[in-house]
Amino acid sequence: MKRILGILVLVAFVYACSSSDNDSDSDDNQGFNPSNFDRTPLLENWADNIIIPGYIDFLSKVNTLQTETTAFTENSNDLTAIRAAWLDAYTTWQRVSMFENGPAETVGLRLNVNIYPANVETIENNIASGSYNLDLSSNRVAKGFPALDYLLFGIASNDDNILDIYNGPEGEAYKQYLEDIVADMQSLTTTVLDEWQGGFRDDFVANNGSSATASVDRLANDYIFYFEKFLRAGKMGIPGGVFSGDVEPNTIEALYAGNLSKLFFIEGLDAVQDFFNGVSYNGSTQGESLGSYLDELNVLEDGTNLSTTINNQFDTAREFVNGLNTFEQELQSIPPTNFLNAYDEVQRIVPLLKVDMVSALSISIDFADADGD
Amino acid sequence: MKKTIFSTFALATLVFASCSSDDDTTSENGGGLIPDIEVPETYSFTRDGASTINFPGQTQRILMGEELISSMLDFDTATEQSLLDMFSNENTPFINEDLNASTRQLRNTIASSEDLFTESSAEAATIRQFFADLLSDQVTEVFTAQAVVASAGVAGQIADGGSTRYVNAQGLEYNQAVTKGFIGALMVDQIVNNYISTTLLDAGTNIEDNDNDIPRNDSGTDTQMEHFWDEAYGYVYGTSADLTNPNLTIGDDDSFLNKYIGRVEEDADFAGIAEDIFDAFLLGRAAIVAKDYDVRDEQTAILRELLSQVIGIRAVYYLQQGKNGIESDDFGAAFHDLSEGFGFIYSLQFTRNPSTDAPYFSGEEVLDFVGDLTTGNGFWDLTPEQLDTMSEAIASRFSFTVAEAAVID
Repeated sequence: MKRILGILVLVAFVYACSSSDNDSDSDDNQGFNPSNFDRTPLLENWADNIIIPGYIDFLSKVNTLQTETTAFTENSNDLTAIRAAWLDAYTTWQRVSMFENGPAETVGLRLNVNIYPANVETIENNIASGSYNLDLSSNRVAKGFPALDYLLFGIASNDDNILDIYNGPEGEAYKQYLEDIVADMQSLTTTVLDEWQGGFRDDFVANNGSSATASVDRLANDYIFYFEKFLRAGKMGIPGGVFSGDVEPNTIEALYAGNLSKLFFIEGLDAVQDFFNGVSYNGSTQGESLGSYLDELNVLEDGTNLSTTINNQFDTAREFVNGLNTFEQELQSIPPTNFLNAYDEVQRIVPLLKVDMVSALSISIDFADADGD
Repeated sequence: MKKTIFSTFALATLVFASCSSDDDTTSENGGGLIPDIEVPETYSFTRDGASTINFPGQTQRILMGEELISSMLDFDTATEQSLLDMFSNENTPFINEDLNASTRQLRNTIASSEDLFTESSAEAATIRQFFADLLSDQVTEVFTAQAVVASAGVAGQIADGGSTRYVNAQGLEYNQAVTKGFIGALMVDQIVNNYISTTLLDAGTNIEDNDNDIPRNDSGTDTQMEHFWDEAYGYVYGTSADLTNPNLTIGDDDSFLNKYIGRVEEDADFAGIAEDIFDAFLLGRAAIVAKDYDVRDEQTAILRELLSQVIGIRAVYYLQQGKNGIESDDFGAAFHDLSEGFGFIYSLQFTRNPSTDAPYFSGEEVLDFVGDLTTGNGFWDLTPEQLDTMSEAIASRFSFTVAEAAVID
């Protein structure tokens, strides 16, 4: 009781001090600052309407992939169904990749299912030896979606030749490997969803404080980290040669299937913007979000709501990327000017999230650029 | 393109002088003034038109170190014997034939400074064996566990972000311990306790020879004193893109001391340190040319302090980064940082505090730290509190704080 009184006194004091500030926003702001804002509805919306439904959908797509993989290994005459299941699951992955927090972080989901490009030599060695431990860190480059990309599209020059391999003398070893890596994805995803649906959801929501280890701070960091390193750099910056100085077309996502990396980028961008606005995974309802949180704090930038500025830049970036040909085509231009112009619009989102948003929300960035070795 | 710098004494006089109306900056009439020192813009010194700079041995040892540490992760071809051969340059172990042809080696240069090890040969032998054991253990413990998932008490591989690290049963990456350990045991020891020490600089007839511009025996141009100073310089800049103007690429030229001067420079708390280190090398060398041994020794003190600080800062930095990793259950990232920190902590015993004229931490103190890091299951058992305590203990001997060293910002 004493403590509440103390806070009241403090609020009154702060209010008294600011009332002479001639600040037209002060009435709206009263009671709203990042440290006493109730984060529970925000965390509930994230967990119940976005993250858990996302993982449910993703797991169901992985399960379908597993079913189609089994079907393919029983009758290896047609790649259509297994490829479609792979594409569906890979597309859905772009919706959940950003949630590398809690259970997904513990198992390292993202780097276990989507390090690209895959290491073909390791894959072939594993298949040839027939003895491999997919739990090894060094095998992460030989499994997940990128390995399937290679196995379903890249092991031979055309579909007939690919099918010949599955029906040839080494066919059983290839089929076994397909099944094993899909089972690995299924097992990791199941673990993550089970934990979210078990105790983690409640822990996540209950950790509603404003410290560096609170859920909002952590997930916001994971979200920005994803945007910067995986969406911006991984899908565009690295292939475009932004960091190395040389275009690296062999580092695009879904290298062997081809013509998908742009679609995956857009899917990822949509997911990131939807998360910012708190849009439900299933449907278009908007709940509490980073955007609404900024609005409630009445964060303005040059007279415009910061959330609007951020949404506008998401839209601009999308417009630029949508205006491109496939990434494969764009990267054939030297330098790939249009591609890089689009990249720059994507880059412009980084400081809005990483500087403006986090400082308004009093969130500390907990990651730094790697030390280099 | 030469600028003239005066010794501290002369400079102080000049400052006073410049406050007076007489703005004559020359000191030709200065009866009591210490002679001017001509300091070139870059590390270029000549006598009779020929360069007097020469440090092939330092460049070679850096290159030997590079081959050795990269070979420590060459699971397919390296053997215990091949690594030990590289360490002592036997049986033509290197890819670079120049290194094979050289009579120089890493092993007998480790822990061999005049000031610390002349009368401590047993200690020197123990330190050399420490590194030899790390090389052997890499093959017998880590290579054999290449396809094992590491866990407490079990050597193997562990994920660190997108990278895979190979650790011993205690979570230590031997290759990191060797690399960062060399920075102290080889580079810093050779510089601060050997080549820029009066023990070497002023040995025998060095002062008299330098005073009279008498070249050392096997060289037509440089004096012995100049050469010692240049050898010190070579341990920092021996593989720099521009040997005379090395700060252009500081941090990118090797995996050892140069690299970590560059890293510390990136932290705003210590920005300027790379220039300060280079300037001290430059002025010290110019002072030798000008026969001004007081100024030279002032630069020795500066270099001892700053180079020691680089080791101290990185030790604390990695302990703090390791703490962050442990707090977020990211053991792979934590162990990688702690492995680097382990090497820097080991290196502390080769530092030199100009105020006490002794290393900032004794060998015994360092072994206590090593003991703390490697008891039981080693890194697997460490707590954030232990790492904070250790960080504080290290920072408290230096002029920086844990917070300043903990992040590069």
